[in-house]
Amino acid sequence: MNRALMRLFALMSVAFAVHANTFYLTIAGLGGEPDYEQRFALLASETEKTLKTHAPDASIETFKGPDATRANIRAALGRIAAAAKPQDAVVILLIGHGTFEGDYKFNLPGPDLSAQELAELLNKIPATRQLVVNTTSASGGGNEALRKANRILISATKTGSEKNATVFPRFWVEALGDPSADTDKNGSVSAMEAFRFAERKTKSFYEEQKRLSTEHAVIEDSQKGGAAGQLAMNFPVLRLNAEKAAADPAKRALQAKRDQVETQIDQLKYQKSLLAPESYRIQLSKLLLELARVQEELDK
Amino acid sequence: MRLLLPILLAISLPAQTLQRAEQLWKAHDYAAANQAFKAAVAASPKDPELRVRWGRLFLERYNRKDAGDLFNEALTIKPGYAPALLGLALVANETFEGKSLAMAQKALEADPKLVEAREFMARLKLEDSDPKGAAAEADAALQIAPNAENALAVRAAVELLGDRSPQPWLDKMAAKDAHNGRGFETVAHFLVMNRRYDEGIEYYQKAVAADAHLDSAYSNLGINLMRMGREAEARKALETAFNHGWKNDATVNSLRLMDSYSKFVTFKTDNTILRLQQKEADVLHPYFEAEMKRAMAAYDKKYQMHLGRPVQVEVYPDHEDFAVRTLGMPGLGALGVTFGDVVAMDSPSGRKPGEFHWASTLWHEMSHVYVLTATKSRVPRWFTEGVAVHEETAAAPDWGDRLTPDVIQAIKTKKLLPIAEIDRGFIHPSYPSQVIVSYFQAGQICDYISEKWGEHKLFDLIHAFAQPTTTDAVIQKQLGLAPVDFDKQFLAWLDVHTKKTVDNYANWREQIKPMHEAAKAKNQDEVIRIGLKIRDLYPDFVETGNVYVMLADAYTAKGNTNQALDELDRYAKQGGRDPETVKRLAKMLVAANRTKDAAIALERLNYIAPQDADLHKQLGTLLLGLNNAPGAVREFTALVATKPLDQAGAHYDLARAFHLAKQDAKAREEVELSLEAAPSFKPAQKLLLQLSTGASD
Repeated sequence: MNRALMRLFALMSVAFAVHANTFYLTIAGLGGEPDYEQRFALLASETEKTLKTHAPDASIETFKGPDATRANIRAALGRIAAAAKPQDAVVILLIGHGTFEGDYKFNLPGPDLSAQELAELLNKIPATRQLVVNTTSASGGGNEALRKANRILISATKTGSEKNATVFPRFWVEALGDPSADTDKNGSVSAMEAFRFAERKTKSFYEEQKRLSTEHAVIEDSQKGGAAGQLAMNFPVLRLNAEKAAADPAKRALQAKRDQVETQIDQLKYQKSLLAPESYRIQLSKLLLELARVQEELDK
Repeated sequence: MRLLLPILLAISLPAQTLQRAEQLWKAHDYAAANQAFKAAVAASPKDPELRVRWGRLFLERYNRKDAGDLFNEALTIKPGYAPALLGLALVANETFEGKSLAMAQKALEADPKLVEAREFMARLKLEDSDPKGAAAEADAALQIAPNAENALAVRAAVELLGDRSPQPWLDKMAAKDAHNGRGFETVAHFLVMNRRYDEGIEYYQKAVAADAHLDSAYSNLGINLMRMGREAEARKALETAFNHGWKNDATVNSLRLMDSYSKFVTFKTDNTILRLQQKEADVLHPYFEAEMKRAMAAYDKKYQMHLGRPVQVEVYPDHEDFAVRTLGMPGLGALGVTFGDVVAMDSPSGRKPGEFHWASTLWHEMSHVYVLTATKSRVPRWFTEGVAVHEETAAAPDWGDRLTPDVIQAIKTKKLLPIAEIDRGFIHPSYPSQVIVSYFQAGQICDYISEKWGEHKLFDLIHAFAQPTTTDAVIQKQLGLAPVDFDKQFLAWLDVHTKKTVDNYANWREQIKPMHEAAKAKNQDEVIRIGLKIRDLYPDFVETGNVYVMLADAYTAKGNTNQALDELDRYAKQGGRDPETVKRLAKMLVAANRTKDAAIALERLNYIAPQDADLHKQLGTLLLGLNNAPGAVREFTALVATKPLDQAGAHYDLARAFHLAKQDAKAREEVELSLEAAPSFKPAQKLLLQLSTGASD
């Protein structure tokens, strides 16, 4: 991961911390049969529980069972559009069945919700940072309609033709509750980290079951001109233990020092292939030790 | 004359076309031969001979289905037609079906002078380890046709398998046609079948030396050289066959497999050679190598012999690669196969987690290496398999195969074979599950001998089988019993061990259905009521839907954790292998402060699902807590080797284990790798500070 940019993003997050809000909307669609109905509702409930634990100040709405109607979703997105500010973030999670016959539709009790309609509703939300996680069958079919600058799209399938029920949502939800998904140990699970966790577990599932994989998850970072995946790497889906800016000037100096060493480490890692292995190792070792000492001081 | 000519032509045309088809076939122009046969049959649809010969062409070209259809059509035209019956026997034999013998007998009843049927009977009897019967059939064929090629070859093979000189028979073969290699090829077939691979290779080499165009022999030579790990020679022989146009599946598959060897890595020690596919080598290497060495140390001591050369184990993640490695063809049901000192087996990643106990298979195959060495491959199949099955359970009680419904049914319907005939169950099974039943029976026979006469008696039998002999003679001499009396005593012993399950199996089956229904309806009291009633009627059943797990679920739902734990413990001890269930047991044991037992439960999973990163994480953490530094290092090394997403966490865990093992230089290396992945990972930072002020190793 680009640690220097990550640091920059973290600084931005600190700056936004006072005012920025995250809006979570989770929808478990129509199951069609009791087993799926129960499974989808359970995943939505687990997500809600995790979000309420780790993001108690966030705006969290969940629809499942008979409540997961097109009208309710439209109303909820309308509320978000009214409340959200440009610096806010929006996370939409769709769980259930989807269909694709030229255009994608999320199956709901009553009328379905098309990708086009969802895109129009999302476009009305002023929050510039948006993440849509569509874990349904055929979900890849909706990406074209939903694609927009600064909007991250994750779909359980690559195209609309992957029509079988998916296992990806199970592992996406698992990622939000598993500390090992936070691979850079920075206290938050980014969209990219959660995607990689769920994608890998999905792949392992099919390998272990000796089944041909019927879903191939995709992540799209449509930020124009940016490096692929950069936006997703810097989008925290969930902050497990976010750090606040210190009030004490001495601590602030230490935080600045820590950020400086981290940036140096990032730069060194970029140069790894250009350096002799021993030289790289010695420099890295020195910087890591320095960083650990600064952190020790900060934690006192 | 004008009128007669068309009539004469009409009569002679099929004969000419048949002759033409045979010539084309002999010239290896199979497509043209096929067309010629087709034309002949169209011209003379009522001629059964044409259909039989056409069927034989299909059979030679690996098309059993069309061959069988043509033989059956010939029988419709002429019921009881001996060559067609023989054709059906040959088709059945291609898949080692037991009915081939009955079909061949029918052919002989229809035509007692059908030499080829007599020769075929001789082959079947020799394949069934009946050299006397084989020799008698071959002699009968030779009385009719003194130069019958296959009969001479069978006679030569009988002598060789009896460790006598085959020369008189080989001389007769040479006198008939010095450039005919088919006789040598037949001899080689029997040597290979009796696991005398090196000698088999010699005879395949003689076959191609006699006839440089005998491509089937080149192909088999290549396959057997490949089996023995002689890859350069194998490739040469296979390529010769291929370049001559012998592009059958076995040749092509074997060449393709050899091309894939570049994706494998080889690890060597003083007494082991381990070949693993690159992508799983880091994870499997330590476990497989340690287990190979453990098995060899145990067998060295037990069999009081030292191989004096390395054993090679090849592990294939793709089961079909393993099958090709073994047979040249996909579709093999076995898990492992031994060729001399070379063992080929499935990788645990080749099957669903929980389906395959790789260590049990490894010990099974390694036992073959010792028994085949000790007996110079003279041992009958039932005995080497029986000892190998016996060794699985001797290594650990929960390793061996369980009593399956197939075996229960075979015992109940008295389908177990007499000891003198048990080899037949392996080679020419007469019902679908007979091979599995034969493995079970052979293993039980060895258990019985060990229990009644002592483990040393098995070694006496091994030594006895090192000489050319028969099962009858060895049983009589070593156990002091006539085989028929041995059978009676063994069955009585087996009855004591299996009676409860065999007698109650139908009842168990009947009751487990409502138990499943009660579980589905969450009627926990009913689940417990039925479960406790039937659990011990068939304790070996640990597959999906077993009583133990259903009982554990019901007890858990009722909040009775201790009884749930007891049921899962029973499941594990009975040989239950589902990784998730064993992990569930481990969690319950940890919750009950039985950390050591939890670690033991998880250790078992290393023999079943070693690629499971979560397993290594859990077990490593437990071992770390138990201050078992070597165990924790092993488990976290495996965790790192699985290349988990959480690289920082995995390297940090390994650093902690090295620190506990007082290997601080390695600990520092690992903690720095952890921090390289996640520089702000606080626990790793703390360990780094601790290590940077502490002493290093």
